[in-house]
Amino acid sequence: MSSEPRAFAAVDRGTATVAASLVGRVAGHWRLLGATAAPASVDADALLERLRGRLAAADPSLAAELGLGSPQGLGGLPRVACETVAPPEIAVLAATTRVLAPLAAAATSAGWRVHRIVLDGAEILPVAAALANPRISALLAGAGDPPGGDERPLLAELSALVGAATERRPDLVAILAGGLAEPGGRYETAIRPNRPGATLLGPSPDVSGGAPLRAMLDTLRGGEADGRRGLAAATGTLAEVLGRRVEVVEVGQSAGARVQASPAPGGSTVTAAVVADGALLPRGFGDPHLDAVVGWLTIPLDRLRVRDRLRELAVSPWGDAAGDGALLRLAAARSAVARLNEATSWMDDGPAPDVAVAAGGAWSVAPGPAVALALADVVRRPGVRALGVDHARLLAPLGTIEDSDERRRVIADLRDELLVPLGTVVMPAGVRGGKSVGRISVRGSSGSTELDLVPGGLELVDLPPGERAVVEIRFKDPVTLGPKARHFAVEVTGGLGGLLVDLRDIPLRLPERLERRRDLLTAWQAALWAGLDA
Amino acid sequence: MTATTPAWLAEVPSRRFLETGLETRFALQPGDRTLVEPGATLVAGEPLVERLRDRRVDEVSIPAAGAAGAIAGSRWSHGRPAGRRRAAHPVEGELLAPLPGSKDKWRLVTGDHRDLVLAPVGGEVIDIRPGAEIVLRTAGRALAGAFAAGSAARGPLHLATDPFGDLAPGGIDVGRAGCILVVGARIDAEALTRARAMGVRGIVVASLPGKELRDFQASERRQRAALHPTPPFGVLVLEGAIRRRIPSPVMALFERLVGREVSLLVDPPSIVFDATDLELPTIPADWIHLRSGPNAGLEGRVVGVSGLRRFAANVMLEAARVAIDGEPPIDVPLADLERLV
Repeated sequence: MSSEPRAFAAVDRGTATVAASLVGRVAGHWRLLGATAAPASVDADALLERLRGRLAAADPSLAAELGLGSPQGLGGLPRVACETVAPPEIAVLAATTRVLAPLAAAATSAGWRVHRIVLDGAEILPVAAALANPRISALLAGAGDPPGGDERPLLAELSALVGAATERRPDLVAILAGGLAEPGGRYETAIRPNRPGATLLGPSPDVSGGAPLRAMLDTLRGGEADGRRGLAAATGTLAEVLGRRVEVVEVGQSAGARVQASPAPGGSTVTAAVVADGALLPRGFGDPHLDAVVGWLTIPLDRLRVRDRLRELAVSPWGDAAGDGALLRLAAARSAVARLNEATSWMDDGPAPDVAVAAGGAWSVAPGPAVALALADVVRRPGVRALGVDHARLLAPLGTIEDSDERRRVIADLRDELLVPLGTVVMPAGVRGGKSVGRISVRGSSGSTELDLVPGGLELVDLPPGERAVVEIRFKDPVTLGPKARHFAVEVTGGLGGLLVDLRDIPLRLPERLERRRDLLTAWQAALWAGLDA
Repeated sequence: MTATTPAWLAEVPSRRFLETGLETRFALQPGDRTLVEPGATLVAGEPLVERLRDRRVDEVSIPAAGAAGAIAGSRWSHGRPAGRRRAAHPVEGELLAPLPGSKDKWRLVTGDHRDLVLAPVGGEVIDIRPGAEIVLRTAGRALAGAFAAGSAARGPLHLATDPFGDLAPGGIDVGRAGCILVVGARIDAEALTRARAMGVRGIVVASLPGKELRDFQASERRQRAALHPTPPFGVLVLEGAIRRRIPSPVMALFERLVGREVSLLVDPPSIVFDATDLELPTIPADWIHLRSGPNAGLEGRVVGVSGLRRFAANVMLEAARVAIDGEPPIDVPLADLERLV
């Protein structure tokens, strides 16, 4: 990408699907020429040829100009590519549950699948068996810094077990954190030197909310072209280009990711978390997971049937994407985001994003307005934000462009094509009950609309993509919409879903009875999913 | 791609019909004694591992000279338990971890009752992780399944039904003992437990609903909790949880394998057979089956790709033209199709 080619390909290979895009230079700017996706068993070259053929058929002169007039043109085409793999597994070992919790939380949000092992009250045999699990590739052992009174009697045992685990599995990466991380100390020397696996000393999970430990664990996961690391880098650049706070919620087959980025002098600040349990269907899918999916379903399927359909989805995650399958997938995606949010609740401390983006294969086949509603259902923070979807799955591969200036140039050129605009959601908190809590007026180029604000409801205002409007909202009582006030005036942008005025509870409260819940969800969905019955 | 294989076929999702050199894993628990060495070539039916049935942890003293070489996961014998209780016979087991604060005392996993496990498949031992797993590269060809339950097993393959059929519990008798049975489209947990009781070694089925799978797994747990050793019994599910037929090329393969010894593996789920003289079924390049979607299980021929098409619930998907059962071609989502190559 350093010699300014006329076109390049972007490939995002996930565990379930592969997405490919063609990007070309048109009138001095990078433009998205086409994007497509297929099950992971399909070669990316076949997808690129599909795109090239369509470009050549639609605009032969442009295809020829970009060197894509014939299949041979793909041969020398530069590529930016990334890959996401299933999360690696780690055993987290501590003397007590109190000490284990922050260690496990750091590993969980650094993209590891965590096996929790507490020594206090445990029998030695199951602990040793858990440490011998052949699926784990790393062991994180930690203690308070300094160790607490409740864990001190168990530290010698903990040290003996860590030493034994690394003897049994010399390739295991051992990380000693907090009170165990004394260079050359007795805990480190309990591990044999000169073994294939590394022994690392890590910070305590109590330092800076666990961020340094999380960052360290993140570097031990994934390769150089890791898709989720690329997604974080690209989100930072996007925030810088847009000059707005951006939050990306990615749901994939193997894990989910949440990335927050804010513009900052000279670049952007990025906070990212990758959560294995944020996958569309996490491993160890059990009854609580099933209940969560059933709770979002708008079709009357019994639990056994839903379980079987979800098992099918796990076996072939790309299949059955139309009809009921699309509804099932979106229900599973909503529950995945709920798990992701729960595992990353520490990310809710900062200001709400200006732009929320859905990314990942789970969202790719649903109609845009339905994705907008799903985002509004599960990303429930007060504020006004634009909604978008990374429809071409371009963000992650673009994030692998190492030169930040080059990455910024490409993303700046593609800013209007990277994301499909889904609309804007206005989501106040602290709305009181009553028949009407105020009025909203929307003034756009195509006219103006006035609506009563009914608490608990979801109002839709038609605002097509590309159109801007000024929204003036007057509440009878003060509400939180960023600041707390009665009167707000904001400029919003349109999208496939238009403007959503979401006066539902934060967090969303739904009826306990499944039938009533389903009716309510169906009513909201019907307004945003045209042709659902087709 | 040959001259007779159009390039667009590469856009249709595909799966290897048969694989070679499959790596399979056999789980170990601390204390289990492996009877093979890395690099060894193993023939199906040879001893693989001694499993401890009554696992316990003893404390042993290792003389100072040997303590330096003691490593967790290694075998240890001829010691005596530490403390006042002395064993009547030498202790043998796997070193688990040293006692905290002690230089010569270790915990040892041992037991009095061991079950011999025979290798359900032949191949080369490529890795042994004590207390964790044995990894074996299998000899022969492997047909992959969607998921499996139970344990790896071996026996002659027999067909119990046609590819569309169900096998009722009453349809299994002791005449099937020792066999791997192919039972068609679906089976329930009652039939599975009866098959196990009749001495059947394994079941191969196209689909197994989640409820039947969980009932069978619960029954397996109860069996394993018993003190007496249970013969191996595995279930291989080829397609998924929702009822459909066994794909015809797979059924054609099974028909050729009738009466031959096959291995049913659980990790990864597969059937392995070593029949070098077997003529494999030929699969036309344009043959497809519907892997998922409302018509899952149907088979046909793919005529071409048709680009983005609108499907139920207003969902736009890449599609292919597919002729099913000789009918005029229809558009089917590409992602619902699967070729076997």
